[in-house]
Amino acid sequence: MSDKPIFQKLYNAIIAGDRSGLEKAVGDALKGGIPPSDIIEKGMSPGMKEVGERFARYEIYLPEMMMAAEAWEGAMKVLEPKLLESGSELRKVGRVVIGTVKGDIHSIGKNIVGAMLKMNGFEVFDLGVDVAASAFVTKAEEVGADIIAVSALMSTTIPQQKSVIEHLQARGARKKYRVLVGGGSTTQEWADSIGADGYGRTAGDAAALALKAVAKK
Amino acid sequence: MLSFWTVVERAFNGPICTERDFELGVFVPNLRKIVEKYGIKYDPQNPVPADDDLADRVWEAGMEFLVETGVYCVDTERRILFSREEIDGALASGPCGRVFGEGKDTRVMPKRVPEDATPPWCSVGPTSSPLSSELHYVNLVKAYAENPLGDGITIPCLTRVNGQPIVGGSPLGIEGAIRAVLLTREGMRRAGRPGMPIVNGVTTAARAQEHIAAHHFGIRRTDALEIGTIHEMKVDFDTMNKVAFSQAASNLIFAENGVILGGLAGGPAGVAVVTAAYNPVDLLVLRGAVQHPFPTHFDLGITSARDTIWARSVSNQAVTRHSTLPVVNVGYSAAGPMTKMLFYEHCAWVIASVVCGGSVEVGASARGTALDYTSPVEPLLASEVAHAVAGMSRNEANKIVKALLEKYEPQLREPPVGQKYQECCDPVTGQPKSEFLELYLEIRKEMADQFGIQFTSVSPYL
Repeated sequence: MSDKPIFQKLYNAIIAGDRSGLEKAVGDALKGGIPPSDIIEKGMSPGMKEVGERFARYEIYLPEMMMAAEAWEGAMKVLEPKLLESGSELRKVGRVVIGTVKGDIHSIGKNIVGAMLKMNGFEVFDLGVDVAASAFVTKAEEVGADIIAVSALMSTTIPQQKSVIEHLQARGARKKYRVLVGGGSTTQEWADSIGADGYGRTAGDAAALALKAVAKK
Repeated sequence: MLSFWTVVERAFNGPICTERDFELGVFVPNLRKIVEKYGIKYDPQNPVPADDDLADRVWEAGMEFLVETGVYCVDTERRILFSREEIDGALASGPCGRVFGEGKDTRVMPKRVPEDATPPWCSVGPTSSPLSSELHYVNLVKAYAENPLGDGITIPCLTRVNGQPIVGGSPLGIEGAIRAVLLTREGMRRAGRPGMPIVNGVTTAARAQEHIAAHHFGIRRTDALEIGTIHEMKVDFDTMNKVAFSQAASNLIFAENGVILGGLAGGPAGVAVVTAAYNPVDLLVLRGAVQHPFPTHFDLGITSARDTIWARSVSNQAVTRHSTLPVVNVGYSAAGPMTKMLFYEHCAWVIASVVCGGSVEVGASARGTALDYTSPVEPLLASEVAHAVAGMSRNEANKIVKALLEKYEPQLREPPVGQKYQECCDPVTGQPKSEFLELYLEIRKEMADQFGIQFTSVSPYL
């Protein structure tokens, strides 16, 4: 963490989930001639890392993560065009398509995983809940995803995770993506039985699992 | 009390709001403001606080939060709002002392308060845990029904029909729901308790049509359908369809609220307030005969962690001091069957629930999710403990729960998996293995010797 006050402001705004405060700090930094890549790498990214660590220590919870992620995304709308103008590009760890399966409307676990992935530098495309198997595949193809993360809470909805893998196979796209599964009723045994590439017992496992998955890809 | 149809009308005509704005623009800021205003703070040193003022503040905070926030209908993208007068009207006319079951198995659901000597209601069963075989299903239900302290059955979740996995919303879901009820009735008949009520019908049923199908094949008016809100303070049409059907069919409803600790409600203080706020929601929206709360840890997926026990203890006290709607707490423990840890976890959350005014549903092992990791033995001890601690002071319960937490807390992240039902019990007769019964007797003696818990001699395993 730099000792420059502006980086501290960026860091603090991310941790507070203060979208407007972050946008102002980003504006001030750009006016001050700080390169967009430094704004991200020396101010915002350390803030995101800290949010993730506090969440892992149970010091903050989902709302703080969601607000930090929203603040980040708001700031990136300003910074990404500037990055392109300057000829540099934001380094993304990977792209993840995430959703809760068809017939299942539970969103909290999926939202926590989505936020954890954002904290760790992934670009996350959240399809929401009650998502058709084909929609996971279509979105993954559209955005060039690395990972498809499929959530299901109930014993009677986890079969839909298998359906996502079958849809990938039917389109000849299975090998293009790492498929991760999670949710209350899923187990490693289940993940193995359907041919998933990874299983997270808890939402907190998600980031490490995703990082491992993109490293293998 | 406002009619259900007025609530439905509000779902169609209430203020428009996106789901994101409900969550981060309404729910979260309202809750933060109110938790701070009422000075509600988590105290990890006292998982079972004896603080009436705290309980009353949590209740007031919950009512204020509900008035300011409302309930979100995800299908209409509108907020269903209630005034404080409407909430008070619902509380004044809410149900109390409903009768469940038939014939000699008829039981009255008691309304309890903190430190109440009235014996708690005990629902027994694996709390929706998944099972692989219909034989295990019938044998387990029979074993649970043979527990003389069991007032109602919470049925397991059947996972396959005709060898195929049950998929909610499909024809397999309909058949699974029907079969689950028929198997449960058969298990109870074999135990000699055919009139015992099913109180969570039907776990295999994810959708309203599956509830309705099961109703045609054995769900009775003296059973209860379990209907839950969506996390947090949300409903959808499928939920409301279940309520509409249950109203017309005159079914009783267990209104389920599993507030996620670490989710939108944040930490233990927020979870306690939201759980209290759900009490009138359970009356007005879900038309419940019982509030069925289980604050659950977001990361561990259980209710036996210290912070979830605190939230449960405080919200139980808040609710039972102010509402006539009975509370039946359900619990999800981390360890698997035939482990000391599972006995300890069940005992901890059961003691906290009962002394804080609740009744109990005992209870799920292995987070209620691992296939076949369930047994009737630990819930038996838990129901014995539930009866034994009725009338105990909260201070005394706090000491016991703290001591139990010390025994299992370090293992919550990597709990012992234990044994599957077919490993710890004879899969044909359903009889627990002799070493399992020895473990049961050992823990029973430990609870008596170490904590002074006075058991009766009703156990079928003595």
